[in-house]
Amino acid sequence: MRKLAFFIPFALFISLSVFLFHGLFSNPMERESSVLNQPLPAFALPDLQQPEKIWTPDSIKGKPMLLNVWGTWCVTCNAELAYLTELREQGVMIVGLYYQQPADAAFGEVFNLAALQQEVALKLEQQGNPYQWNILDKDRTLIFDLGVTGAPETFLIDAQGVIRYHHIGDINPQVWQQKLAAAYQSLQE
Amino acid sequence: MIAEYGQLALTFALCISLALAIVPLYGSFKGHQTALQLGNPLSYALFLLTAFSFWALSYAFWSNDFTVVYVATNSNSLLPWYYRLTAVWGGHEGSMLLWLLTLSGWIAAVALFSRSLPLQFQGRILGVMGLIAVGFYAFVLFMSNPFMRSLPYFPVDGRDLNPLLQDFGMIIHPPMLYMGYVGFAVSFAFAIAALMGGKFDSTWARWARPWTLAAWMFLTLGIMLGSWWAYAELGWGGWWFWDPVENASFMPWLVGTALIHSLAVTEKRGTFKSWTVLLAIAAFSLSLLGAFLVRSGVLVSVHSFAADPDRGLYLLAFLLVVVGGSLLLYALRMHSVRSQARYELFSREVLLWGNNIFLLTATLVVLLGTLFPLVHKELGLGSISIGEPFFNQLFYYLVIPFSLLLGLGPWVRWKQQHVQPLLKPMSLVAIATLILALGTLAATQSVQANLALLGLLLGAWVGSSAIFELLQRLQQFGSVKQGLTKLNASHFGMTLAHIGFAVLVVGVAMTKTYSVETQVRMKAGDQVELAGYQFRLVEVYPLNGPNYTGEAAELDVSYQGDYVTHLHAEKRFYTVQRTVMTEAAVHARLSRDLYVALGESLSNDSWALSLYVKPFVRWIWLGGLLMALGGFIALCDKRYRRAAPNKVTAKQQEPADA
Repeated sequence: MRKLAFFIPFALFISLSVFLFHGLFSNPMERESSVLNQPLPAFALPDLQQPEKIWTPDSIKGKPMLLNVWGTWCVTCNAELAYLTELREQGVMIVGLYYQQPADAAFGEVFNLAALQQEVALKLEQQGNPYQWNILDKDRTLIFDLGVTGAPETFLIDAQGVIRYHHIGDINPQVWQQKLAAAYQSLQE
Repeated sequence: MIAEYGQLALTFALCISLALAIVPLYGSFKGHQTALQLGNPLSYALFLLTAFSFWALSYAFWSNDFTVVYVATNSNSLLPWYYRLTAVWGGHEGSMLLWLLTLSGWIAAVALFSRSLPLQFQGRILGVMGLIAVGFYAFVLFMSNPFMRSLPYFPVDGRDLNPLLQDFGMIIHPPMLYMGYVGFAVSFAFAIAALMGGKFDSTWARWARPWTLAAWMFLTLGIMLGSWWAYAELGWGGWWFWDPVENASFMPWLVGTALIHSLAVTEKRGTFKSWTVLLAIAAFSLSLLGAFLVRSGVLVSVHSFAADPDRGLYLLAFLLVVVGGSLLLYALRMHSVRSQARYELFSREVLLWGNNIFLLTATLVVLLGTLFPLVHKELGLGSISIGEPFFNQLFYYLVIPFSLLLGLGPWVRWKQQHVQPLLKPMSLVAIATLILALGTLAATQSVQANLALLGLLLGAWVGSSAIFELLQRLQQFGSVKQGLTKLNASHFGMTLAHIGFAVLVVGVAMTKTYSVETQVRMKAGDQVELAGYQFRLVEVYPLNGPNYTGEAAELDVSYQGDYVTHLHAEKRFYTVQRTVMTEAAVHARLSRDLYVALGESLSNDSWALSLYVKPFVRWIWLGGLLMALGGFIALCDKRYRRAAPNKVTAKQQEPADA
């Protein structure tokens, strides 16, 4: 018994090595999305341009759609607008989820809807407008529920309103072909 | 050509390390005198060749030789000369070469200073270190060669050193840290040599003690410098982040601290034998694990070098051979060893056992916190992250009993201590503790039942206990004056290191409790008040450095109307690497730091600034410095320089007799 006890450090080390070995072949930055294959979380948020209009999960049902988290402040989001517009022209339905950054009172910032609407309209006019409509998530509640870590991020949602894919980062022709196109096509059928 | 000479020298060094790994070990098992004696010249040759190779790489940096890939990726002709030289260890390949330099330096030092050891034992130590060296030299030569050329197409200029590393801290932090990491290889080699010989009297512990102390001292300095550097350079006002790589350096330190204390028990009382050997193996194993974590890309960290699974695989295989092999040897050899010494429940042995338990628990907490996200993910349970709150909370719980024990420890005798004689001095210490803690708090802040009070009480308990114990010990020599000359250096070192711990605890508790910070928008002329200090932004103007541009802000600080200081904070944009860096302005006093970081430019000529007032933050590094100084003083103890008694050699009945 005493003899065996002296093997404990060795045994512990070997089992640790197994994990270290596995760890070598996986990317520590990779995160698995917790909302995958779940229906969209409940929400009731206003339209960005027509705030009297309220969107709910039911509005994103019936057809496969992309839900794209973006903001005018986000450089990468602006870069993907052109390609997303191209996708829209090919018939892909894209809904924008506008990521409003918190207004910092210490810096004298206040939330100004009219200014934001103007800014967004101008941006979409210049870069192309891929969106069917934009949902304004002023307090970032839906963004939080979706587990968004930054912008841009894109969710592929099937006709029943279930999230089928969660992409972190921008969408460009390569990403679309490799990661999203096949999934989108299969949902179409 | 110089770079090629460097590579050639490194290749020779690999051959020498192979010889060092084989010849003295062969000699020790066959009783071959000449083979054993070859250990010393081989060690010196290894060091000289490595030093030459290191010089060759430094020369390539000095002369802006951008045909060398490593130089081109880590330097730039506009970089000031001193950063060009420190850029040698600014990337993976060069830092591995620094690792080799320190390793060969330790090997040469062991060869030089352990000539009085029995030749057989010395041969085994050098042989084990040679084995470790083979693994690392091969790794550098075959998997991360710093001398690789990019001829015939080479860049006109280099990609510059990462701006984070263009700091004074970079000059000394890595060398100190590596001296510590690699230094534990010596304790490791002593333990393995003892395991090979199968003799576990207290002699190996006495020989291993100064080496362990030296490695521990360097590691303490290295970690302390790293913390100070992060504080000064990152512009975040923090000093410890529980980043996986910080943890990787902290674990060997914790185990090393346990080892120092456990070695004392093994040497003086001949007990804790198997435990001490295990700690010696663990300290170096954790150093190796740290190297693996940093260089394999298994974890996310600011310190990580470019991830390369092949290198990771090599290091893991190396880890398996070295750590797995030694733990197996330990399991096979150690179970037959039993300690003879007897001691009572209340004795120094038991208290030091407690010290070890707490230090090991702390190590386990850090290890779990660092690796749990990895294990969790590999088990298919999804990604999680473990951060500051986990570590902080568990460390609060560990530090309280640990400090209470630490205050008591030095007073307690070996074998058995009666409670009665301790009552008077300990109550004196307790009274001093209360006065000191409440007095400090009343003088600087306000007395409240909070973390700061707890930290002050613990710190004062440890500190005043250490001082009283020293005074009492000195008086045993007749008078304090006489005692000062007669008491051995180890005891002074221990007292100083314990005071260092007390200072550190006070620093952490006070900073954690009373630091205040604010993010503000300021224009030239604006004034902001924080913790009684008025910060006035005088002006912001453009900067033009050798390899950066940027802005500098000038601030005047006053306290209740009296001028305190002038602060100069910078925000630099390094043009080659296209990165923004903050150079925080710090006004440091023992009682508090004023810390200003210049943020982004906002609309209408105003700037975002972060202001911090951090009471007692200097105490954290002062504590670390005192601990390292304590280690150094203990190292100066005369008895470590005494020749090994000959009876040991005679007992081993080997032809090896130096």
